[in-house]
Order: sequence, then C-alpha cells, then structure tokens
Amino acid sequence: MSELSTNYFVCVAEIAAKLDQATRIAQQLSLTASNARAVALRAGERAAGFRPLTDFIDRLAEITIKSSRSINLLAATLSQTSADKVRADSAIEHFNIVFIKAKDSPFIDSLDEVYQRCQTKQRQLDKSYKRQIDRLSDELIMLSNELRNAVILATLSRVEASQAGIEYQEALINVANNVEGAASKIKEHINYSQQMVSTLEEY
Amino acid sequence: MKTHKLFESKSHTWLMFGRDDDKPNEIIDTNQYIVITHKNALLMDPGGIELFSSMLAAVIKQLPADKITHLFASHQDPDIISSLGLWDQALPSATLHSPWIWESFIKHFGMNNISYSAIPDEGSALKIDQVNLEFIPAHYLHSSGNFNVYDAEAKILMSGDIGAALESVEAPLFVENFDEHISKMKMFHQRWMPSNEAKNDWVSRVRKLDIDMMCPQHGRIFKGDDVKRFLDWFEALEVGVIRKPSAE
Repeated sequence: MSELSTNYFVCVAEIAAKLDQATRIAQQLSLTASNARAVALRAGERAAGFRPLTDFIDRLAEITIKSSRSINLLAATLSQTSADKVRADSAIEHFNIVFIKAKDSPFIDSLDEVYQRCQTKQRQLDKSYKRQIDRLSDELIMLSNELRNAVILATLSRVEASQAGIEYQEALINVANNVEGAASKIKEHINYSQQMVSTLEEY
Repeated sequence: MKTHKLFESKSHTWLMFGRDDDKPNEIIDTNQYIVITHKNALLMDPGGIELFSSMLAAVIKQLPADKITHLFASHQDPDIISSLGLWDQALPSATLHSPWIWESFIKHFGMNNISYSAIPDEGSALKIDQVNLEFIPAHYLHSSGNFNVYDAEAKILMSGDIGAALESVEAPLFVENFDEHISKMKMFHQRWMPSNEAKNDWVSRVRKLDIDMMCPQHGRIFKGDDVKRFLDWFEALEVGVIRKPSAE
C-alpha cells in the first residue's frame, strides 16, 4: 500500500481510485456467486444449504458495487468543491496582499464588496466541503459494516461445503475462500480510503 | 510594480504598468496597459496569475476597481491572461474582449462571471464613453488568433508581442538606441513569429496608421521615429526560423 498522501486533491483522486478497485473485486465476487450457484445445482440435495448462501454473496457484491459507485460520485463532487475552495482561498490571499500593498490608495474601499463576496463564497464552500466529507465518511462506514457479513458468509459456506460430498467439497470451499479473499481486499481499500478521509477532515 | 502615464487628454488617459520588482525571477516581465475614460476603463493584457496582486494593487491606486468594465487579452498565453480566474472574482461585471478562436481555451483560466466578447478575425471597434479604440488583426504574430489595440486620438498602438524584447525589470521604459535594441528582440521575433506573410501583411497595414507610440507587452516602448525604424527592421526580418544562439 502506498504512503498516505497529504495533498487533498490527490487524496480525493486516490479515494476514487481505491473504490474503483473495490468495484472490480465486487464484480469478480458476483461471478463467484454464479459459479457457486452452478456447483450447488450440480451437487443437488447435498448442497441444498449452500444455494441460499449464493444469494447472499450476490447481494454482498451488489451492495459493494452500488456503494462504491455512490462513493465515487461523492469523491468527484468533493474534487470539484476542493478545486473551487482552492480558487476561493487563493482569491482571498491575493486580495489580502492587495490590501497591504495599496493600503494608502484612495480607491481601496472599492474592493470591499468584492472581498466580502469572496469571503461569503469561501464560507459556503467550507460548509459544502465538510458536509461532503461527512457523507463520504458515512458511506465508507456503511460499506465497511456490510463487509463484516462476508466473514460470516465464508464460515457458513465452509460448513455447507463440508456436507456437499467429496466431489463438490473442494469447489465450494474455493467459493468460500474467494468470498473471504475478496471481502478482505475490499476492506483493505476501504480502510485506506477512511484514512484518506481523516486526512481530508484536517483541512 | 511601476506605473507610467503615456498619454492624457480631456477624454482619456493611457497608463503603463510594469517592471515589477516583486515578481518571481523565473517568470518573464510583462507590460500591462490601461485606458481610463470618464466612467470606464479597459485593462489590456492584464498578465499572469503570479502578477495579479501587484497588478491590482497598482491599478487600485489609480482608479476604483469597479471602473474597470473592460478587459482585453491579445491572445491566449498564460503571461497575458492566466490571472483571469482572479479578475473574474474582482470584476464580475466586466467584459473580456479577445480573439474568437480562443474563447473556449481562455475560459480554462476560470471565467464564471465575466462576459466574453469574441473579436472576429477581421477585427472590430470598441467605443468606451467618447473614446474610440480599434482591435487590429495581428494573427500569427505570434499567436494564430491575435489582436493589437489602436487609439487614433492618442496615436498609440498596443502591439502585444510585436516589438517585444526579453529584458530585466531594470530596463528603461523606452527604446533609447534602436540599433542597440535589435539584439534584445531579434531572436524573440524570429523564434516566436511563425509567418513572413502574416508579418508583412501586418507591417503594410500598420504603416497606414498614425502612431506616436508602439507599446509591446514585453520590453521597451517605441516612440516617434523608432516606430518607423521598427516597421522597417521587422519587414526585412526573416521570421519562423530557429537559429542557434551562436549564430545570433
């Protein structure tokens, strides 16, 4: 895992990239669910307990994909807000220099209205930025909670696989391993994104 | 940032801003010009983002910010107009006059409030209060969409990159010895200007104008006979060539 970035534009872009990777893993998980369903069908009655689990794997993949997309959209909005915020902050900084350099100018008051407008905009952007960060954080927590179910799902899959007979046991245990592995990778990306969000909260 | 009055009449004033001691060393020094009329003002080639604070501070010493109702960008280069995003905050009701071909490019600098008035290839006129200004085509000199500003009453031609010289911030404001000045502008014109045809067409049109001062965006201003000397020199110069510094 790469070192955490301290630049907030990069942070936002990295969150989007991490969630994109999570989406790809979730798509593979969806494929795993289809395979598992086919194996369980072939195994017949012996794998009857496994079949409902495939629905849960599907649901997990679906939730991860949906949530990742939503987080990606949030990251894109946040990126735009960040750019607007940089612009507003920069304008204020530049105006502050003008107020120092031209303090004796008889026309310096003509900048007051513009300055106040920029300050209002800056405050609005600050609020939007904080609100978007909170939403991003909430979405990541929700997704992270959903992924806790994956561990239970993998354990249940192993139990059901052991009752499916030697012929199908290996394939179904493989499914359980895939679910656990995918969930672990997605979790890793989410943890990283959550650390990024913590960095963003400091700005 | 120094301010110098170039012209004053009952109807309007021309000021030049430049030779900014506060500018970072790595960026080229630029000249900015403003025409101030009774109720309005046109700020020409307002400069790069690095220059904005100095520029606005210099301008605000001369006139209130909201009097600047017009901006002009001769072309799309960053040293001309990359400060647009900040002027957009400072002068939200202003109009930017610039070549039509650069409209969607220049807006990348950030333009949410200012209006864009696209200058057609053949040029156009702008009347501010009682002052008539002309946008004179100077395409390919150096930018493919490029204009000068001509004021017939003041007899001033703001020539953008034409006549530009690469010099330090200590350089005098006016050309004092034309022959000596050639070495400071020759490479710039040969390397930056791509077309002899466009150059000669511009020279023939500009010769017909009555010009007392030719004001480039970099370097020194040409006055009186030096304007004609420049036109003669420029007409004879082969442009669109790359020469090694040793050949200069």
